[in-house]
Amino acid sequence: MANPLTLYIPIKQDQTTQDAAQAARKHFVSTYTPALDHFGKVHYARFVLIPNHAVPGKILAICVMTSFDGPTNPYLTDFWNDPALREVFAGLAKMALADTSITDYTGFENFINENNLSEIGELYQAYKYTVVQIKADVKYPA
Amino acid sequence: MTNSPTPPYEPRNVQGMILRGYTHRYSCHMLFTFADRKGATDFIRALLPYVQSAEAWSNKPERMLNIGLTFDGVLTFEPGFKSQFPTEFEAGPWSADSQQSLHDTGPSDPKVWWNATKQAVHCIVHVYGLTAEALGSLVTTVSQAAGTNRVSEILPLKPERGQSGRLEEYAPLENYIHFGYKDGIDNPGLAWPADPAVPTNPVKSDPGDANNFLVGYPGSTFQPGPETGRAGRFAKDGCYNAFRVLYQDVRAFDQFLADTAPMVVAAIGGSEDHAREWLAAKLVGRWRNGSPLVLSPDAPDQATSDKTDFLYKRDDGNALRCPFSAHSRVSNPRDETMLPTGTPVPRLIRRGVPYGAPPVPPDYDGERGLIGIFLCGALAAQFEKLYSWINVNDFSNAYSPGFNTQDALLANRGAAGDRSFTIAMPIGNPIRILSLPQFIVTRGTAYCLLPSMETLRGIAGLLE
Ligand code: HEM
Repeated sequence: MANPLTLYIPIKQDQTTQDAAQAARKHFVSTYTPALDHFGKVHYARFVLIPNHAVPGKILAICVMTSFDGPTNPYLTDFWNDPALREVFAGLAKMALADTSITDYTGFENFINENNLSEIGELYQAYKYTVVQIKADVKYPA
Repeated sequence: MTNSPTPPYEPRNVQGMILRGYTHRYSCHMLFTFADRKGATDFIRALLPYVQSAEAWSNKPERMLNIGLTFDGVLTFEPGFKSQFPTEFEAGPWSADSQQSLHDTGPSDPKVWWNATKQAVHCIVHVYGLTAEALGSLVTTVSQAAGTNRVSEILPLKPERGQSGRLEEYAPLENYIHFGYKDGIDNPGLAWPADPAVPTNPVKSDPGDANNFLVGYPGSTFQPGPETGRAGRFAKDGCYNAFRVLYQDVRAFDQFLADTAPMVVAAIGGSEDHAREWLAAKLVGRWRNGSPLVLSPDAPDQATSDKTDFLYKRDDGNALRCPFSAHSRVSNPRDETMLPTGTPVPRLIRRGVPYGAPPVPPDYDGERGLIGIFLCGALAAQFEKLYSWINVNDFSNAYSPGFNTQDALLANRGAAGDRSFTIAMPIGNPIRILSLPQFIVTRGTAYCLLPSMETLRGIAGLLE
């Protein structure tokens, strides 16, 4: 079964950050498809902007939702070691309302875990195959 | 392996068990809970004269020890370090994410670890002696230091059959472990990368180089941390220990070999005794004397019993010698193509020893197994990643068509893997064992930091 990761990051309200968030959403799929394909464990990934209902037109938070195979922490170094993916997270940290400067990998790992709203097991999945199995077209029941 | 003459770390600042495989025959691994900071400080200070560094010794110390702290233990000294250490170290091996890799279910459930004690482990003291007397006297010293400083000892095993309940090495086995195999053969070289990569381009060093195990140096894909701030200074020159005590069910193991031997005889001929040895070798990838199947496919050979210079994909791509799911081939797949491609194979420094006397069949009762000491710079990216592969062999497309077979010896059969085991044969059909039994039960796991000598002096109050 896959696991959920739901990063919810309230962002700054200044125009530069707001524009950066819009741009990140627009380019998310096209920019990160090669890296996620290579990683081979992510079923789906979405980059969603949460509106600020108190201030129309503004974005309150960024939400990155993924479902992926296996544990999170052992594979986070693969994200950190991939320059394109590291850039996504560095960008997110920069936009975050809470002052977050990621100075090393441990800071990155904690940033992901602390902003993850999902718990292991909180995911419905219609099938039990992993991404690798699906791509290899594994036929027999797992 | 890459090599540089002068590594930047000082061996005298690194605890000895990290960089050296001690050959002391006697050891005891003692678990403690601190009551308060003052007591913990005085306890560490009392032990400090016996702590062995990695500096070369002229005379082998008769008795010595090393000290590990869990995150709760670290917080006793440094309450401000919350959220500054790697998530898995802080959350502990029982946490939901770690359990995605370790899969401790059923009798291995974390709820019953350490003989179902309710006490948290704060500190593990690894005591070594050249003789039983030398060990005994230092264990007494440690125990007295605990008693006078409100530090309580946890007895991690049921004290039964005259055993103390402590984790004591069973010395007569020497280099062998239960199930009858030679152990501790292949360990990382711990060289220093000749070309220390810059942090932004870290994929340069060999996974067996020491910068993947010591915290605070650049060039590691596995990113030992923390590297910055006060926590970074505290952790520098330290190394993590995934301390994992595994009960070995020798009855189930012997029974499995006996039950499966006739099927093996039907395929390869010979006696059932030979078939049992052959099968034992196929489960691990080495004969019980240590000879790797890749180099000695037909019979154990004294000349190859310590050999480590072989590859799998190059030398045995079809697994006709060593099955894909053999324990050694899963825990170090060497040159197999990884998923994702290009990611390195994590290595672990293994310093484990056996505990408990071997059984005298037909009496298999009694507690015995492995005091597993798996040292790494990153508990998640090295230890847990390998453990997840042990439970489900999904790390390489060479391994099984369904990507979900399991380590033949170790896996928790309750994990979502395929329990079958396939032994490819040069002629005829492969031997397919449909359902491997459970050979191992987890008795407890603690994630510790083995801090530098300077950090130990600091928490003992000797640097102020
Ligand atoms: C009671 C449990 C275990 C038993 C009986 C066992 C047995 C063995 C044996 C017989 C070998 C081959 C000899 C050698 O290379 O030293 C070996 C190698 C190894 N084991 Fe285990 N092991 C156990 C637990 C573990 C665990 C929990 C891990 C990892 C988390 C592990 C990781 C390794 C590694 C990395 C190697 C070296 C493989 C290589 O480099 O070729 N072992 N083990």
